[in-house]
Amino acid sequence: MDILTGSDPKIVLAFWSGVAVAAITCIMLAVIIVMRQVVLRRERIHANAVAFWSAIVIATPVDGVGKIPPLPDRDMTGFLEVWNEVHEPLRGGTTAHLTRVARELGLEERLYNRLSHGRFHTRLVAIIAMGHIQNAESFRRIEKFMDDTNPIVSLCVARALMQIDPDKAISMFVPRIASRSDWSQGSIATILNEAGADRVTRELSEATLQANVDMAPRLIRFLASVSPESAGPIIRNILLASLDGGLISTCLQVMSNPEDLDCVRPLLVHPRWHVRMQAAVTLGRLGVPGDEQLLVAILSDQQWWVRYRAAQALMALGFVNTDGMRRILNSQTDDYARDIIKHVLAEGAMIKVVVTKKATAAA
Amino acid sequence: MTYVTAIIAFLQGVQWIDLILALQWLFLCYFICINTAYLTLNYISVFSIIGYMRDHRADYLPTNLASYQPPVSILVPAYNEEGSIVSSVHSLLGLEYPEFEIVVINDGSTDNTLDEVIAAFGMVEFPEAYRRRIETAAVRKIYASSRYPRVRLIDKDNGGKADTLNAGINCARYPLFCSIDADCILQPDSLGRVVRPFLEDPTMVAVGGVVRVLNGCTVRNGLMEKVGLPQNYLARFQLVEYLRAFLFGRLGWSPLNALLIISGAFGVFKKERVIAIGGYRSETVGEDMDLVVRLHRNLRREKRPYRITFVPDPICWTEVPTDLKSLKTQRMRWQRGLAESLAPNFAALFDRRGGAVSWLALPFMFTFELLGPVIEVIGYAIMIPLWLLGLIPLQSFLVFLFLSLGLGVLLSTNALFLEELSFQMYPRLGQQVKLFGIAILENFGYRQITSVWRFMAIIKWLFSFSKKSHWGEIARDGSWQRHSGSPEADALSRRDLPTVP
Repeated sequence: MDILTGSDPKIVLAFWSGVAVAAITCIMLAVIIVMRQVVLRRERIHANAVAFWSAIVIATPVDGVGKIPPLPDRDMTGFLEVWNEVHEPLRGGTTAHLTRVARELGLEERLYNRLSHGRFHTRLVAIIAMGHIQNAESFRRIEKFMDDTNPIVSLCVARALMQIDPDKAISMFVPRIASRSDWSQGSIATILNEAGADRVTRELSEATLQANVDMAPRLIRFLASVSPESAGPIIRNILLASLDGGLISTCLQVMSNPEDLDCVRPLLVHPRWHVRMQAAVTLGRLGVPGDEQLLVAILSDQQWWVRYRAAQALMALGFVNTDGMRRILNSQTDDYARDIIKHVLAEGAMIKVVVTKKATAAA
Repeated sequence: MTYVTAIIAFLQGVQWIDLILALQWLFLCYFICINTAYLTLNYISVFSIIGYMRDHRADYLPTNLASYQPPVSILVPAYNEEGSIVSSVHSLLGLEYPEFEIVVINDGSTDNTLDEVIAAFGMVEFPEAYRRRIETAAVRKIYASSRYPRVRLIDKDNGGKADTLNAGINCARYPLFCSIDADCILQPDSLGRVVRPFLEDPTMVAVGGVVRVLNGCTVRNGLMEKVGLPQNYLARFQLVEYLRAFLFGRLGWSPLNALLIISGAFGVFKKERVIAIGGYRSETVGEDMDLVVRLHRNLRREKRPYRITFVPDPICWTEVPTDLKSLKTQRMRWQRGLAESLAPNFAALFDRRGGAVSWLALPFMFTFELLGPVIEVIGYAIMIPLWLLGLIPLQSFLVFLFLSLGLGVLLSTNALFLEELSFQMYPRLGQQVKLFGIAILENFGYRQITSVWRFMAIIKWLFSFSKKSHWGEIARDGSWQRHSGSPEADALSRRDLPTVP
């Protein structure tokens, strides 16, 4: 106890700091143990809720609703997870029986409550459920969350809105694609595809035309995946007029109309190597007899990738077979061109061996 | 006895008392700073991990990821890995990812690594138009697998790990490359998880993943079957250490965009950015940290928006040393790597445009990670004799020891708390109590001995500057491996086995 009455304040301070640290450590340990027990209990309740409500929701007949037990608050999240999961494969199909279950349970009001008071996970499952219920009031309640700073919340809201009122939602969603670089491309593509080409094409085309060079590549990809026909004229315009290498490369990657090849051929001598490379790939994909001469010319390009893709493109052209490639090889005097042709020929032979082996094994 | 008395009398002179007082204050200030810094990192990590778990707890959206996941080249540098390389590659072939290639780079192994790979995967010589974008030791031959189109093999002259990775980068076909140690175990979804930040942020340049301790776990056919605590005490100490290092050491820096270390065992990089800075530097044994520091410096100098981040999901498992000799070799190598990575970047300290890297992370690394062991060992070396000589009162000595050890335990307990907040890999009460016991025990001997090794590494480094990157050789016991049949059958059966959450 000398320490407590000791004259050196440093020692007294250090002692009490040590005691405080030991106390905090013990508290932390207690918190860890209690937290684990709480989590285990919560997981148990959740698992029970999921099992109980799975049986009820899955067993609900399409043509009617049997007796539904009351839904206690503690089962709410588990129920919503099951309910959302059962909806997912039925998107666009018959879900009226599930909506009737929701109505019987008075789900909507309870969802609104969760939207304003729930935690992150609770709010999100509520938003997803609102999308399935497809009620106009839900649209009004959640539309403001499309600008939520969290990309997961805003995308879930966008998807739910698209289910409730796709025409109205698309005009809100597409302009935001350009400004939300944090929205994952996969999720955007899913939402656009679910909405359908008819609905999104016009909005997406307008947004693409108005977008700056940073955003246009992102939008053109979505447009080409949703509606290649609508993307065609825009791609052609960009290939003819744009000076931006990144944008041109993206257009080359997604273009699918062989009639636009006249815009592609001049790009084989573009100053940016990735444009030359993508132009070679595009010719390999869509090229016609005569294009092989253009590809042969860039087999000596200073960039490895351009040479490699040009050689691969030659192999991909249906009318240039392995013998044709060997003839091209023999006609080359440039070592780089010869090396890359040998490389691609060996690669092709290797793939053939693997395919044959797999076919033999399957047989 | 007269000499001893004379020495004590001399030490008790007035000047020594002043020096001791000054040293006491120095140690005290350092002690306060280091613990404040660690605790701050700890609390940043708590917020990071809560946010991460919130966003990634469930798949709220069907993400259609496969169409957007960029192809990845997985680089597996190998030096004398004949025992593990084939099963490692088989394990990688089971990754659930749409497009990737595996490039095994044999760094002039003196054992049968090359022959093992050639035989196991039907490798045949391939006339690859090899591009030497980064200078490396001579590449002898390049092979491609006649059975697995994803697998290629580079055989090159010995040049060290950094040189081997550079050869792999030269050969890599895809825009992202993943460096992985040949003795690590990955989960099938590992690549998808670590590539995810690249999809969420176009400015992402590099992503590191958590490395966890494999000892005590059960692995069947290259897939984690059961997570457990190691039996060996050294491995247990390292388990707590790894939790500390990854869960708050890395996660704390990530939100500040000042992460300086992405473990060589598992990290994904944008290939062109790495080539732009000349690839890995062969003159260091800490090539992984050196690369990240240079990426930061280069990108800041070019004023490019960028992110270097870290995913806390438990996706990569590695076996840790279980004998003192191997542990000593590893720790000395790590400390040397740290010194070699920091020394050339001394000029970046407090750089006006360096942001959190120059003003926080680098000073932290220099002051606490590099010099920490020096101060700690000098502290022990001075304080214990002074106490024995009666120059420091026993009371003060014990009180500061109590506080120091208490803080050490608190930091480890915080790491256990982070683990509880996130992935709960050790969920049983018994496991938690054991881990807490380890968090206390490691402060009595283990921490001190690793500090001494780190101190020795710095001394050795100071007296031998120009050592090239080489391979650390560590004894592995591999007792966690379970096989059910041939490697091919194992690889095929992997998908049917349960995965770790």
